[in-house]
Amino acid sequence: MTALEAVSVYLPPVRMSVESLAGPLGLTDMQVKLFRRFHGLREVGRDPDPSLPALLMKAAAGLDALRGQEHRIRYVLYARTMPVVGPYPVNPLHEVCHALGLGHALAFTVTHQSCASGLLAIDMAGRLLAADTADGQDGQAGPLALVLTGEKAFTREAQVFADTTIFGEGASACLVSAFGARDRLLAYASNVRGDFDSDTGANDARLQREYRPSLAEVMRRALDEAGLTLDDIRVVLPHNVNMVTWQRMCLLLKFPLDRVVLDNIPTSGHVFCADVFANYKTACERGLLEPGDRYLAAAVGAGGAATFAAMVFEH
Amino acid sequence: MTAQEAGLDGEFRQRVADTMSAVLARLLDRPEPVAEDMRLMEELGLSSTLGLELLLEVEDQLMILIDVELMDADQMRTVGDLATFVAGHSRPG
Repeated sequence: MTALEAVSVYLPPVRMSVESLAGPLGLTDMQVKLFRRFHGLREVGRDPDPSLPALLMKAAAGLDALRGQEHRIRYVLYARTMPVVGPYPVNPLHEVCHALGLGHALAFTVTHQSCASGLLAIDMAGRLLAADTADGQDGQAGPLALVLTGEKAFTREAQVFADTTIFGEGASACLVSAFGARDRLLAYASNVRGDFDSDTGANDARLQREYRPSLAEVMRRALDEAGLTLDDIRVVLPHNVNMVTWQRMCLLLKFPLDRVVLDNIPTSGHVFCADVFANYKTACERGLLEPGDRYLAAAVGAGGAATFAAMVFEH
Repeated sequence: MTAQEAGLDGEFRQRVADTMSAVLARLLDRPEPVAEDMRLMEELGLSSTLGLELLLEVEDQLMILIDVELMDADQMRTVGDLATFVAGHSRPG
């Protein structure tokens, strides 16, 4: 069963207030007030180093469990919100692989589910490893995958999403195994909605209306698949789109707001595909997860289409 | 449910409703008056984002803070529903 073996997250110490971004992003006073008052976004991280590989390496550097285990890494998956992050032939993923001594691994990028690509990458990593070791392997010595997330907020599109969220820089590195005992993946559900193509803006109102019910549907479907209900869930690890979305999600789901890990929204913003990993670390640091606790990770990717995704884990 | 039945200050609720109608007319660039029984989404075409802008303006104008975390947006069908919620779930800001 797919499992998270270790997670490392890097959130840059340099923060930019929403007010300081208003000028460069062309935000009106009303938009700034909306972001701060209702969306709960106060500031976002910006890494002073302009290099994307350097950003990813800072997350990987914190992954102690990788040291000495490089030979076991069979796949490196880089989950991204933005399909393109550099000019050809620049390849940040290959640079990172070489720097980490993972040149032997099959490395590829997972995109086109926007900010839900991180959950897809975990599922994909686990299934690839399981297919390779279908005859069964000792989880302690079997092959592993490294799932990376993290992006530079290098264009306006990568800095702000309509009146919904502000993106922050950050990165995560996660070791995935096929048969591990830690943070086992119990279920994954997703719904790719090509009919929510947002490029023209024609579907924005419908997406706003159907956003929460659609996310709730995949969360319930993941729970069903795991044979659980929301009552069995200790915490929800959200995507950091904004506060008001999760306040309303909780009313819809009848789930206590204080069991959704929202700590990082005010100080980091929406860190692309890294949100769930950052919120996992926060949940662990706050002692919110005991061994055996089940938790639910949720993400929405919007842009070009919309993907709603949820995963249920056992800690 | 009337404001009286909900245990609300009727005068305050009316101020909320009047403010809301005026702000809505401006936000939606609507020359006709906005009545309390008008449906926010279906009739006025109010999006989630504009809905938040409406609440922000009402907060500013009436100098209140609205408990948005308690607001079930799906239950706020009409202008009057929203005015009743705001009147019952706000405090001086």
